[in-house]
Amino acid sequence: MKVSSAKVSKESKGHGGHHKNSLHSKRWSHHSILPLQLADQLDQWSSVTVDMYNNHHQPQTSHTSTSRSSDYSAGGGDNGEPSGTGNKWASRLLKECARAISDKDSSKIHHLLWMLNELASPYGDCDQKLASYFLQALFCKATESGQRCIKTLISVAEKSHSFESARKLILKFQEVSPWTTFGHVAANGAILEALDGEPKLHIIDISNTLCTQWPTLLEALATRNDDTPHLKLTVVVTANIVSSVMKEISQRMEKFARLMGVPFEFNVISGLNHLGELTKEALGVLEDEAVAVNCIGALRRVAVEKRPALIQMFRSLGPKVVTVVEEEADFSSTRYDFVKCFEDCLRFYTCYFEMLEECFTATSNEKLMLERECSRGIVRVLACDDDQDNEGECERRERGSQWSERLKEAFSPVGFSDDVADDVKALLKRYRSGWALAQPHQNETGLYLTWKEEAVVWVSAWKP
Amino acid sequence: MLETMAEESISNGFIMNPVTGSNAPVVAKKKRNLPGTPGKYSIYMTISADFSLLRIIFMVCLIPDPEAEVIALSPKTLMATNRFLCEICGKGFQREQNLQLHRRGHNLPWKLKQRTTKEVRKRVYVCPEKTCVHHHPSRALGDLTGIKKHFYRKHGEKKWKCDKCSKRYAVQSDWKAHSKTCGTREYKCDCGTLFSRRDSFITHRAFCDALAEETARVNAASGMHSLAADNFNYQLMGNPLDTAMPQHFSTVFKPISSNDETIDQTRRGFSLWMGQASQGHDSFGKSTLQEIHQFGSLNPGSVYGDPMVSIPNPPPSDYQLNWVFGNKVSSGNAEDHQLTSTSLPLSNVKENGPQLVSVPSLFSTQHQSHQTPAFSMSATALLQKAAQIGATSTDTSFLGSFGTKCSNSQVQDGNKYSDLYVSNTPTATIQGSNLENSANDVSTLNQLQMYPAKRRRMPNEDGGSGGGKTRDFLGVGVQAICHPSSINGWI
Repeated sequence: MKVSSAKVSKESKGHGGHHKNSLHSKRWSHHSILPLQLADQLDQWSSVTVDMYNNHHQPQTSHTSTSRSSDYSAGGGDNGEPSGTGNKWASRLLKECARAISDKDSSKIHHLLWMLNELASPYGDCDQKLASYFLQALFCKATESGQRCIKTLISVAEKSHSFESARKLILKFQEVSPWTTFGHVAANGAILEALDGEPKLHIIDISNTLCTQWPTLLEALATRNDDTPHLKLTVVVTANIVSSVMKEISQRMEKFARLMGVPFEFNVISGLNHLGELTKEALGVLEDEAVAVNCIGALRRVAVEKRPALIQMFRSLGPKVVTVVEEEADFSSTRYDFVKCFEDCLRFYTCYFEMLEECFTATSNEKLMLERECSRGIVRVLACDDDQDNEGECERRERGSQWSERLKEAFSPVGFSDDVADDVKALLKRYRSGWALAQPHQNETGLYLTWKEEAVVWVSAWKP
Repeated sequence: MLETMAEESISNGFIMNPVTGSNAPVVAKKKRNLPGTPGKYSIYMTISADFSLLRIIFMVCLIPDPEAEVIALSPKTLMATNRFLCEICGKGFQREQNLQLHRRGHNLPWKLKQRTTKEVRKRVYVCPEKTCVHHHPSRALGDLTGIKKHFYRKHGEKKWKCDKCSKRYAVQSDWKAHSKTCGTREYKCDCGTLFSRRDSFITHRAFCDALAEETARVNAASGMHSLAADNFNYQLMGNPLDTAMPQHFSTVFKPISSNDETIDQTRRGFSLWMGQASQGHDSFGKSTLQEIHQFGSLNPGSVYGDPMVSIPNPPPSDYQLNWVFGNKVSSGNAEDHQLTSTSLPLSNVKENGPQLVSVPSLFSTQHQSHQTPAFSMSATALLQKAAQIGATSTDTSFLGSFGTKCSNSQVQDGNKYSDLYVSNTPTATIQGSNLENSANDVSTLNQLQMYPAKRRRMPNEDGGSGGGKTRDFLGVGVQAICHPSSINGWI
């Protein structure tokens, strides 16, 4: 991320060095900017924006129900900021920029990018962070360098990832926030109930949580029944996860299963470019096994057109239960409308970043790493064309209701039992306040995790 | 539970000879003082012998009294509460005695039943549920309250639910008892971290490095040879004993990226590894340890220049203490910080999950044909491999060089050992264990960790006792182990 932002700063930094007349000039030069000028520029642009682009002005809907008053303390060492910036400046600027890109207004684009670059920082407050990561994506979109940026991000991430760091990161995240454990508890509950009494279990796990879901399931299998079933776990790894990490994980899982006294078999399927390549044969499903398919943050990685096929493939495995956990956001139906897609993307990640801000301590390293993990997703959604082969990965999230529509083609919904709901509620009690369980509306299925009254994660269970 | 009992009995130095007629699979139970005794084997057999014996004792306690009166109550009767009612206020009591005492309060005539002088036959109760184990009179329970509670617990509806953890109970007293302690109980992992939540404890435990320890214990108890590497079906790994290992190594340890552009960058990051793998033996030993730990501490924070934040674990002073009791102190951060010194005791290196095999990796890299990377093998695979190699050769020169190589890092080991164990010569001990087959070394250390409180050392195989007759549980011949230990083998 640093690499690309450095690129941004180099190229756009000089532009604002000239005074306002040069706004329309397209020459790049390297000139440092005084804070006061910046403040003027910002203010001026705000007012200019209102005047000139009044028709584009959208109501300032605060998507997050709590507007955190983030003290805008000089992201770039600026003093004397006009009150025009204040709260949610990032949101405004980013949306302006997105609109400018959509309108292909290059002067405005340049200027906004420059301003964002000045104000953004991945180490600042929420606004600054959002500005930083979204700026990267907007820049890539404007310069059509999304693919390259992704590749850089991936290589940087792979270099710095190790089993130790990944483990530490996810365990810490699960300790402070139920974002992932919500899905785990609900899915495990549904799986245990659906597979109750079966002697041979085969769980196909396509998830992004590095098997942290399974220890509690293994423990439940070991303790709840007198005769412990045999469990075969097939993990499908997407390209993001480094294989050495998976190797470590497989060792640990096997050891743990031995410790628990659960007959266990662990398989890893990796090397897939994208999930669309998954085949029934590769999964090795046997006749006498009771199959459960567990998808956590997985379906969104499939290209939008290929999703129905994947769901049909799941159906062909004849599973007893399919559990799906996804985050509540819609980047899929709006994929041809950049501004709308951008807005939902911004809303979602604002919520996520604010959640991270509240759950972690201010100086937490893990929080920083989690934020960085988002950068790839943001760039992918906003700056990568789906048609191109971006290694087959995409991050087009859909809302629960949309997934339900898809899944209803092949499956019928299974409600979560009261016991599972109680388990989830008990889980949420163990975290700080702000989290709640929400039942879906009528005609909808699944459960929602809400953060400050806003639905963020959706979990559902399906049977053929 | 029985396993723990077995362990405890052993830890007290209590080794029993098997009871004649027991079904313990004792092949050749040798006394331990004799030379040529495959000591580990005998202990191994001792464990299973003790286990069977303890089981027999346990069963003996359960033989019921043939004179007892067997009472079979109906479910309705069992579930009925408060059968005895006070006629004045209608209050119900479970026992007649309680009702009588209550009647005193109403100034009613009361009479407590005296215990009859005639011999009271002991009453035992059976469970009315036909499928239940306790339905049979031989498994009857001696207590009315007991059978009631059993009936509810096993065959009743769980009406009582804990608020905090949503655990369900059929018996109200169980639920009350649980509620008192729920959330207050702290779970402690072997690595020293405390948890207030059970689920986060379980998840942590599954991924904790201290798990390596646990499985060593479990393995020894259940027979390592039965845990084949069949379970370990990692498609990318292939057969770890394959001589084509170098290629696997490079694919496994280079992060998978389908982009050729990025390979250069990643290759740089992992060049340390590549270099180590193909390097000659000499500097491999110590520097690998360094590399391992440096690698372990490599994290995004360092890449981005952010220092690691606080270490959540007990301070290093606890390190030795915890190690005594077979616990691994460090986890996560702490381990990165603590393990950056080069003079680490080898066994501690071993306790890091992947680095478990650093000893045998030194072993294996001596052989030209096996370019095994340091931490690519699970304990199971490593033992298999060691068994293979050990069974085929006794390369004295190799063993000799192995010994010298390890000696540096082992000296620290020896120091620790000497603190904790009675030993004549620390270095001699280590030399002895060095020159063993490394497989035995591993299992030695494993078993050492298993019984840390015991002040005894795992015996070394002393010089050959009749070719082929005595083999340890790995199937490795005793004659493969050459060095008659200078330890005063008291096994």
